[in-house]
Amino acid sequence: MTAILEARNLVKHYGDVKAVQGISFHIEDGEIFSLLGPNGAGKSTTISMLSTLYAPTSGDALVGGHSITRQPMQVRAVIGVVPQDLALYEDLTAHENLNFWGQMYGMSGQSLRRRIAEVLDQIGLADKATKAVKTFSGGMKRRVNIGVGLLHKPRLLFMDEPTVGIDPQSRRAILDMVKDLNRQGMSVLYTTHYMEEAAELSNRVGIIDHGRMIALGTQPELTQQVGQDETLRLHVAAEADAAALADALRAVPGIKQISTTDHEVVLIVPEAEEALASAVGHANAIGVKIRSVDIQEPNLEAVFLHLTGRALRD
Amino acid sequence: MRKILAIAWKDGLIRFASRSELLFFIILPLVFTFILGGGFNPGDVDARIRLLVVDEAGTPLAAELRTALERSDAVRVDLLPRAEAEAQFDDRNAAALLIIPAGFDTAALTTGALELELRQQPNNLNAQAAERAVLAVAGRVGQSLAVAEASVAEAERRQPFASAGARADYFDAARQQAATLFAEAPDRLAVRRALTADPVDYDPAANSSAGQLITWVFIPLLGLSGLYAFERQQGTLRRLLTTPTEKATFLLGSITGQVAVALVQMTLLIGFGTWVMGLSWGREPVALAVLLVAFALAAAALGTTLGTFVKTEGQASGLSMLLGMAMALLGGCWYPIELFPEAVRTATKVLPTAWAMQGLLDLVLRGQAVSGILLEAGVLAGFAVVFFTLGVWRFRYE
Amino acid sequence: MLKILIIGFKDVTLAFRDRAALLLMLAAPLVLTIGLGLVTGRFAVGGSAGGISAIPVVVVDQDGGQLGQALVDTFTSSDLDELLETTTSADPAAARQRVDDDQVAAAVIIPAGFTDSILSGAEASAPAATVQVELYANPTRPTSAGVVQAVVDEFLSRVEIGRVGGQVSVTQLLTSGLIQPQEAAAAGREIGQRQAAASAPVIQLRRATGTAAPAPAFDALAYIAPGMALMFLMYTVSNGGRTLLAERAQGTLPRLLVSPTATAQVLGGKVFGIYLTGVAQMAILIGGSAVMFNLRWGDPLAVGALVLAAVAGATGWGLLITAVAKSPSQVASLGSAVMLTFGILGGSFISLSNLPGWVQVISRITPNAWGLEAFTTLALGGRLADIAVPIGALLAMAVVLFGAAAALFNRQGLVQR
Repeated sequence: MTAILEARNLVKHYGDVKAVQGISFHIEDGEIFSLLGPNGAGKSTTISMLSTLYAPTSGDALVGGHSITRQPMQVRAVIGVVPQDLALYEDLTAHENLNFWGQMYGMSGQSLRRRIAEVLDQIGLADKATKAVKTFSGGMKRRVNIGVGLLHKPRLLFMDEPTVGIDPQSRRAILDMVKDLNRQGMSVLYTTHYMEEAAELSNRVGIIDHGRMIALGTQPELTQQVGQDETLRLHVAAEADAAALADALRAVPGIKQISTTDHEVVLIVPEAEEALASAVGHANAIGVKIRSVDIQEPNLEAVFLHLTGRALRD
Repeated sequence: MRKILAIAWKDGLIRFASRSELLFFIILPLVFTFILGGGFNPGDVDARIRLLVVDEAGTPLAAELRTALERSDAVRVDLLPRAEAEAQFDDRNAAALLIIPAGFDTAALTTGALELELRQQPNNLNAQAAERAVLAVAGRVGQSLAVAEASVAEAERRQPFASAGARADYFDAARQQAATLFAEAPDRLAVRRALTADPVDYDPAANSSAGQLITWVFIPLLGLSGLYAFERQQGTLRRLLTTPTEKATFLLGSITGQVAVALVQMTLLIGFGTWVMGLSWGREPVALAVLLVAFALAAAALGTTLGTFVKTEGQASGLSMLLGMAMALLGGCWYPIELFPEAVRTATKVLPTAWAMQGLLDLVLRGQAVSGILLEAGVLAGFAVVFFTLGVWRFRYE
Repeated sequence: MLKILIIGFKDVTLAFRDRAALLLMLAAPLVLTIGLGLVTGRFAVGGSAGGISAIPVVVVDQDGGQLGQALVDTFTSSDLDELLETTTSADPAAARQRVDDDQVAAAVIIPAGFTDSILSGAEASAPAATVQVELYANPTRPTSAGVVQAVVDEFLSRVEIGRVGGQVSVTQLLTSGLIQPQEAAAAGREIGQRQAAASAPVIQLRRATGTAAPAPAFDALAYIAPGMALMFLMYTVSNGGRTLLAERAQGTLPRLLVSPTATAQVLGGKVFGIYLTGVAQMAILIGGSAVMFNLRWGDPLAVGALVLAAVAGATGWGLLITAVAKSPSQVASLGSAVMLTFGILGGSFISLSNLPGWVQVISRITPNAWGLEAFTTLALGGRLADIAVPIGALLAMAVVLFGAAAALFNRQGLVQR
């Protein structure tokens, strides 16, 4: 397989702010690659550099064999971009928007008309095509926003957090659309801070934090980093309880890592059932009531927790 | 090229998506041109300025003066008793009040000049026009009196009159003859205005038609700056940069769209000037087209440069309204540029509005052809090139 | 009550923090006042009130006779030194070209034979063919050309008086037998010269301005500055209305309405904010122009009362526009349109009395017309009592418009839609 994208040591500084500090990865032709990381990790900056919006401070990337710094126009013809925020003309209809953006990708005439019809079908808005975008619901606008990025059948589609702030139903539709597009042969670079999305979609995942790629690989490869360890979540009544319980558990041998998020104590342990018994014992000893318990097999969330000591959604 | 047209078409759709845009596109310009051009003066309506007249003399001379005033094409005499006239004047219902005092008669000539009293509202052009009309009429009535008076004096130098009656008769005869001679006197002044074979009728409405055209086209073209702010705010400008489209293509497309809209608007306004106000816009269509295109390009380029400074749509619309009005005013679009002090007049040469106005007046008032407006069109094209270059150079996507 | 004040002051703060709004609230009226002040000659150096001076004019004398020279002398006389800037030329074509090139306001061309056509006419029995002085006027400088024409007219009328005077005197002397026909020519010349020389007009005009006996000198800016201030006051009130709808769109208005604050308080606060912003704007513009242009607005108490009334009337319009419009951007464009229309209808650009009668009637619906009338009265030395009618009209306007806006808001509901 050949790489459709190859990023080499990308760096982006805004004055003193080091948004991206040397990121390298590649995307195979035909795969879905996810960049997973919390807000502010540098995902959007990375995707902006790759879509030729910002010139990198240093480093380069080849997209479809073209350099993003030296051949931006060729790169733009290869990629389709779905920006995080809506970028549409709300006064225009869905059809007029698609028509305009299609022309910006150099399409025209019969082929453009045909393609608009296909895309409208794909995003499920064929019957609303002549309505102004401003009359659409949030989910419908998102779908138009994605449709614009598909018009010219890009070989590589950049999707920057396309599911932020929408209802579960629309989110499901978007995820299915991404898988569908990928089956048709489109490579996808997908950024998200939802572990589940990355897990569901991707062949490979890059985990990014503070502008650095802290882990990269297929999901099994990544979860192996946490080994066979399991995640044990103990839900307690109050925050103070969580802190107290965490303190109490630090002395317990066999617990590899302890962290707290408001009403939870999260433990990474080799054997969850075993740890649970001792945790309940300690809780009773200090008078903390455990409300519920959750045991998770190794996953990306755990990988992130393992690597950074923080939860993804902090 | 196709992309430029696509951008232009999209901008047109967006601009007219809100129907209130039509207000600024055509309705207000027409209303302003119309009102400032003096409005309609249909034949059956007396558009003359109302002049209140109080006649306290009641003499034949006073009657003669009134008759002469009534024939004036500037004022309409409204004869009233003093109390009523003063009340109306104090309520500012009339621009001027003329009082013919008691004793206004030829007999009083021997004791010196005759006097009329004119009261005017302050700072009022109509009052000034009324004054000019009264002065002209008084001068005309007075000149045969003066001649008769002088003629009597000549006779008296040679031989005193036998009686007051004889003197009065001599005076009347002389006055009669003088009045006849003055009436027969040829017009010794020919006023001409343009060198063309087919002379242009001077019409003050031309100033208003040209000035309003420039103003109302200029402001929305400066508003181009708001369009860029809008695209930035919407995120569409960012998206555009991820498509294989050059910056200059985008700018050219935006300019093309607004200039095309401006050309349609100008055509409508010119049509209104030609067919409704009867102005001679149509005599040099090629020259007019060259000038208007050059002007629209200059204004659009200025708007592009402005677009690199403003951050929000609100700023853009405020700034383009402010700059547009100030530049139109100083460019002589609202009042003839001659009214400005010399130094200001020289300074306004840096404004595209001043050049556009001069070019338009060359066409509509001076009847000049393409060669006559090449300088103006050239300067405007220069503005366009300079500001477009500046705009492209300074333009940032965010 | 306190809440109304809090909401109101918050809006004033926001309005004065919005740089785009400040452009139109304060910068625009001041800039345009200066521009219009230049037009009226208010800032002319040397204080020539008329505005126009040193009119460039070119005189071509091809006559070479006595009268042609007299006309040239008139143009170069020291009396007209300030008004005109006369140059002479021998080439009529070149002179006309200078007019066409907009270098001079007019060319006065005295053709050959001008003197003879008049003087010989006085002596000969048959009048000679008329030779006309040509005034080649610059159409883009109508006022300047008008002044030049007035100078030529004045000269020609003196010439005419001399000619007619000579002719009448001689004829009458002949008819009454005081001179013999052979003396006529000599007497005619002598009399003609005497009469042309003495030519104070017989009917004099005594001018009086305004009503109060010794009217203070009227400052053109006292008309322009309030005109501009009132026009951009309309911007401020519609911008205030716009923020009302913007708050609805942003959700801050619904949020206010679910807080323990009565709807009336919220609306009252918004209206108070608009009103206060307008008053502050007027106060700054009045104070600023008083300091910058040394402009006297008149009796401070009356000016204050007028500002309060005018802003009330304008706020009424702002609310009505807001009630009619559907979105913030509609308020903005409708507001600008109303501002400009009221500006021209209310006399901010050209004095109302110069507009057609029907416009003057319509103008009564604008706060601009009433306000401007009252400001002018005050600048001319009027007192509060003199502007009772405009103030009453403005307040009545406010009441009617508030009522109409309230009814519309009531029907549509403030938060729904």
